[in-house]
Amino acid sequence: MGNIRVGKPDVKTDTPTSVFGTHRGNEAPYKRQPGLHKDGTADARRSTGIHWKKHNAIMEIMPNLPPG
Amino acid sequence: MTTTEDRSQAGERKPAQIVDMSWDPITRIIGNLGIYTKVDFANREVVECHSTSSLFRGYSVFMRGKDPRDAGFITSRICGICGDNHTTCSNYAQQMAYGIKPPPLAEAIVNLGEAAEYMFDHTIFQDNMVFVDFCEAMVKATNPGVLAKAERTEAPGAAVHGYRTIADIMRAFNPFEGEVYKQALKVSRVTREMFCTMEGRHVHPSTLYPGGVGTMPEPTTFTDYLTRLVRVLDFIKQSVAMNDDVFDFFYEALPGYEEVGRRRIMLGCWGAWQDSNFCDYRYESMGDWGRQMFVTPGIVVDGGLVTNNLVDINLGMRILLGSSYYEDWADREPFVTHDPLGNLVDMRHPWNQTTVPVPQKRDLDGGNYSWVMSPRWYDKNADQHLALDTGGGPLARLWSTALNGLVDTPYVKATGHSVQISLPKSEKLPEMTLEWKIPKWSNTLERDRARPYFVAYSAAMAFFFIERAMSMVRAGDMKTFENFDVPDEAIGCGFHEAVRGVLSHHLVIRDKKIANYHPYPPTPWNASPRDSYGTPGPYEDAVQGQPIFEENGPDDFKGVDIMRTVRSFDPCLPCGVHMYLGKGKELTRTHTPTYGASHD
Repeated sequence: MGNIRVGKPDVKTDTPTSVFGTHRGNEAPYKRQPGLHKDGTADARRSTGIHWKKHNAIMEIMPNLPPG
Repeated sequence: MTTTEDRSQAGERKPAQIVDMSWDPITRIIGNLGIYTKVDFANREVVECHSTSSLFRGYSVFMRGKDPRDAGFITSRICGICGDNHTTCSNYAQQMAYGIKPPPLAEAIVNLGEAAEYMFDHTIFQDNMVFVDFCEAMVKATNPGVLAKAERTEAPGAAVHGYRTIADIMRAFNPFEGEVYKQALKVSRVTREMFCTMEGRHVHPSTLYPGGVGTMPEPTTFTDYLTRLVRVLDFIKQSVAMNDDVFDFFYEALPGYEEVGRRRIMLGCWGAWQDSNFCDYRYESMGDWGRQMFVTPGIVVDGGLVTNNLVDINLGMRILLGSSYYEDWADREPFVTHDPLGNLVDMRHPWNQTTVPVPQKRDLDGGNYSWVMSPRWYDKNADQHLALDTGGGPLARLWSTALNGLVDTPYVKATGHSVQISLPKSEKLPEMTLEWKIPKWSNTLERDRARPYFVAYSAAMAFFFIERAMSMVRAGDMKTFENFDVPDEAIGCGFHEAVRGVLSHHLVIRDKKIANYHPYPPTPWNASPRDSYGTPGPYEDAVQGQPIFEENGPDDFKGVDIMRTVRSFDPCLPCGVHMYLGKGKELTRTHTPTYGASHD
């Protein structure tokens, strides 16, 4: 900081992200978010846990769109 | 020489009557800007101008040592109005450093968010801040003769905007009561809602990350955006017609007004909206994918295109200290000596910059007077450090896009001399094709005129992006994120357009942490003080020597012509926040426990 007098820092500069137990944002949480597939597609499990297999697209060529 | 040539006409001059006039801080802009001028009231012109900023930007200092993945979230806080541009640009730089390419749908979502931001920000700035300088109340106070003429002048675009005379439009510009002023506030709310559907939160996005977005790409995400977009179309079409009418009227009512704020045409545009079909974020191919952006990057000097290659643009950047309060870093160890293509990187390039602040007294007489450094672009052919300006953003973007002639989409086409913008039918108005033509001057009115055209440009491109996004969603391609690892050592650079012009972020990673980080937003380019070669910055250059058309004398001088010039650049200096609580009184100390954290 040149010749500016500054105080002692309270925390280390990289504290917020270098904390043990914090989820790393750069690894997609597939385990915690069922219904999302690694190829980028998804099935109805993404949107509901109730009878989700009955809410999938009715044909293979149809995309699985979320209800929203 | 990069300055505009002397505009004074020899032979007709009266003995000078010079009065010091200063505005510090300037209102109706963002941040802390001071303009110090010497005005010659006998010859009605500005003789000298200095632009200063009393805010210190410490981002490049405290970014060091942080986790690079945080950069987008932290740099967003640079600005309270275009923070998302910083996040986007930071993500571009990080994606280059991490060697990843986000999925096409993520790119479309980012582009949609940025399009909404341009629409929001330009509308609120133009209609709620710039137009106060052109409103009935202001014109009555500064040029009553012009207002009388405006009352008698029919507005050519009345069929589109519904105002019969120019004075009627000026009345609609009146702050707090005028119809345009009030409508603009509503439009800026709706466009912010559009922004939030894509980027989660305005103005510091919560769903933009390096590698993609966290936005849930549901069909309604896009239809919500689309319905709002169609709702603001009428306003956009009317704004373009109103702006054209008012600015054409000023040229006609005040002959010679083109000289106000005119400077040599030296515009820089770093390009906006990546095309996911081409952009892979590799430095080696940056020139190629840069040309495919939906606003073409380019450096325009004297009306000609110098380069549209982002690699050349990157390597030509020089940060000169000039008249700013910093210590030189030239004798320090460089961070990056060569770029990934093997080109030499200059010591004054942002990759190698070290910010060492040296607070001192302001000295406007040949000393240091600003916290803004002097970014320049080194033109190796002419061996000159060019003081590029951004024309407030839209002027440079439209000029570079028009001149390049590369953008060709169903809604926006660049022709080589103009940009054609097609907007579909809206509630009141039919389908319209607007054409922005390259103007004769880079001056105050043209900077202001370009702004509503760029709002239209953004709206038109938003239709294009939404069609792209929806076709992907309908096909079941919902991937919005790419995993990545942070490398031990890497460099990256991002080029984007903040709302008011060029934006670049330069990043150096060592040991998985930020070793050097330098964001260069548009206002350091525009508001820069005199550089080491004595070349004034764009504000100073544009104001210096400009004629004064205001009818008031030194006692009740409002300086409206000077303010119009400065505001035409869309100044934005909120790059630091200073709070003084008196004798260092500590108000509160709070502790936010982070999950599993143990703080030292």
